[in-house]
Amino acid sequence: MTESRLTARDLTLAYEERTVVEGLDLDVPHGRVTVIVGPNACGKSTLLRALGRLLKPRRGSVLLDGTELSRMATRTIAQSIGLLPQTPVAPEAITVADLVARGRQPHQHWWQQWSEEDERAVTDAMDRTDVTALAARPVDELSGGQRQRVWIAMALAQDTDLLLLDEPTTYLDISHQVEVLDLVRQLNRERGRTVVAVLHDLNQAARYADHLVAMKAGRIVAQGRPTEIVTVDLVRDVFGLASVVVPDPVTGGPLVVPGSPWHQDSSAAAAAVSAEVR
Amino acid sequence: MTASLIESQAAAVRPGGYSLVRRGRASFLVHRRAAIASCVLAVLTAAVCLAYLCLGERFVAPAEVLNTLSGQPSTADFVVGELRLPRLVLGLMVGAAFGVGGALIQTVARNPLASPDIIGVSQGASALTIGALTFGVGSFSVLPYFSVAGGMIAAALVYFFAWRGGLHAARFVLIGIGVAIALRSVVHLFITKGDYLVAHQAQVWITGSLNGRGWDEAAPLGWTLLALAPCVVWAARAQRNAAFDDDTATALGVPLQRTRLGLALLGVFLASVATGAAGPVDFVALLAPQIARRLTRTAQIPLLCSALLGALIVVAADLPARLLFAPVELPVGVLTAAVGAPYLIWLIVKDRSVRGSTGGVA
Repeated sequence: MTESRLTARDLTLAYEERTVVEGLDLDVPHGRVTVIVGPNACGKSTLLRALGRLLKPRRGSVLLDGTELSRMATRTIAQSIGLLPQTPVAPEAITVADLVARGRQPHQHWWQQWSEEDERAVTDAMDRTDVTALAARPVDELSGGQRQRVWIAMALAQDTDLLLLDEPTTYLDISHQVEVLDLVRQLNRERGRTVVAVLHDLNQAARYADHLVAMKAGRIVAQGRPTEIVTVDLVRDVFGLASVVVPDPVTGGPLVVPGSPWHQDSSAAAAAVSAEVR
Repeated sequence: MTASLIESQAAAVRPGGYSLVRRGRASFLVHRRAAIASCVLAVLTAAVCLAYLCLGERFVAPAEVLNTLSGQPSTADFVVGELRLPRLVLGLMVGAAFGVGGALIQTVARNPLASPDIIGVSQGASALTIGALTFGVGSFSVLPYFSVAGGMIAAALVYFFAWRGGLHAARFVLIGIGVAIALRSVVHLFITKGDYLVAHQAQVWITGSLNGRGWDEAAPLGWTLLALAPCVVWAARAQRNAAFDDDTATALGVPLQRTRLGLALLGVFLASVATGAAGPVDFVALLAPQIARRLTRTAQIPLLCSALLGALIVVAADLPARLLFAPVELPVGVLTAAVGAPYLIWLIVKDRSVRGSTGGVA
C-alpha cells in the first residue's frame, strides 16, 4: 500500500446510542482517488464525516500526518482537508463568486482579505467547474446541477491536498455527473490531489476509483483496485444483489449489470432481488 | 468545462460588488454599496442630530449650536450643552448598540425575528433592573449591571429551553417569545409591588425613554461601547461564516461553536447595556439590521450600517417624542413601536409566504 496522510485507527462512530461504524481501520492512499460504496445506512457518509472531523469518534481516532484531528485547530485542518457535505446550505442571497470566494476562508486573515493567491485559486476553481459565467448570479436562483458545481468550486478554491466529497453527483443529470467525476479525476491526475468520495452508483465508483472501499453494516468488506475486488460475490455480499460483472466496453474495468444470468439458478437470484426490493 | 483542460486564461474573478484595497501583503475588500450606504446614513444622522439640537421648546440657531459644540461660549450653552446634547449622545449610543446587538443575535439565530426585544433579552434586562429598583438597590450607577445580568439570564433561559441537540430557528423564536411574555409579567409584578414613585419611574423606563437622561447614563455606556469596539470589529468578520450550515462552516475551518457563542454573548451584552441605559426601546434591534441588509444587499447584515441606522432611528424618533406634545415628553419607545409593529407584522406575513420555514436546524 502506498503512503497515507489520512488514516483511521480502530474507529467507532455513533449517533447518540446508535453505533454506525465499529472498530474500522482505513489508510487513505496518498495521491489516489478513493471511493467508498455500500448500501444505504452502511455508514459510508458517517465515515467520511469523521475523516473530515465533522463527527467526533466515539472511540479510536482519525490521524492527519500522524496527528489526531481532534487535537488540531479546525482552521489548520481546513488548510489540508477540503470537504463538501451532502447538503450544504448557503448564506441567504449570496452570489456565486462570493460563495466560491468563501472557500479561501482558511487561508485569509482580517488584514489579508483578498491576496493574489486567493484570486488565482477562485478564478481557477470557477473556470474548472464552468461556473464563471454565473459569477454575479444569486446561488438561490440556480438549478440543482449549477448549484452543485458552485459548491464544488468552493471546495476547490480551498486549495487543499485532500478533498472529501459526500455524494458529489446527487442532483446532477448524467452528463453533469460524468463532468464532475472527470473533473475530480483530472484534479487527482494533474494536481496530485488525494480524493475520497462517497458515491451511490457502483459502476461510477468502479470506473473512477483507484482504490475502492466497499462497506456494509459499519465495517469494510473489501478494498483494493476495482478490477480486483468487484465480483459477483462482492455485489451479492454487500448489496444483496444478483448480478453479472462484465468488462466495461469503454475502460475495460468491471461493469456491474443487475440480474442473474439464464444458466444460473434464476429462482434463487430472483428471491435475492425481491428480498432487496422489500 | 472541456475548455478548462487547458490551463485557464480566464479573467480574474472577484466577489461581486467589492472594491479591493491592496498595500503590500495586506489586502482589504470594501463592499461598495455598504460603504456608500454608510456615508449617506452618517450624513443623514448628522443632519438629524443638528435638527435635534436646534429644535425644542426654545429654538436655537444652527450657528449657535455649532458654537456650543466647538466649545465657544454661547447663550445656548445650557439648553444645548446641558439638556439636549447628553440626551442626543445617549440616544445615538443606545441606537447603535441595539442595531449591532440585534444584528448579531439575528445572525446567530439565522432568523430576522430573533431580535433581542422579541426573544426576551430586553425583557430580562428590564425585569432584573426594575426588580433592583423595587427592592431598593438605591444607587442608579449599579443598575446597568443588573440589566446586563438580566439580559444574559433571559438569553440563557431561551437557549436552555430551545436546545434539543441542536437549535431549531423557529423553536428558538417561539420559546423566546414565551420567555419575553413571562418576563414582562414579572416586570409588572415588580411595578405593582413597588411604591408609587418607583412604579412611576419604572413605568416610564420600561417603555424605553431618554427623558431626563444625561451624562450620568451616557458616560458609562460610552466607555462600555468603546471597550467592546474591538469585539465588534472581530464580529463583523466572524459573522460572515455563521450563516453557513454547521458542516460547511466547519469544513471551511470556522470554530463554529466558539464563534456562535462569542457572537451571541456580544449581541446579548450590547442589547442589555443599551436597555440598561434607556429601557427597552422596542423594535430598534429588529428594524435596523433588516433595513441595513436591504440597503446594502449583502449576504450578511452589515454591522456599521446597522449601528448607524439604529442611532438614526432612535434620534429621529426621540425628536418628535420631545416635540409633539411639548412640554409633555413621550417615551421614545412609543414612537419606535408605532413604526416597528407594522413592520413586524409585514415580516411575519412575508416570511410565511416566501420562505415557508425559517432556516432549519442551526
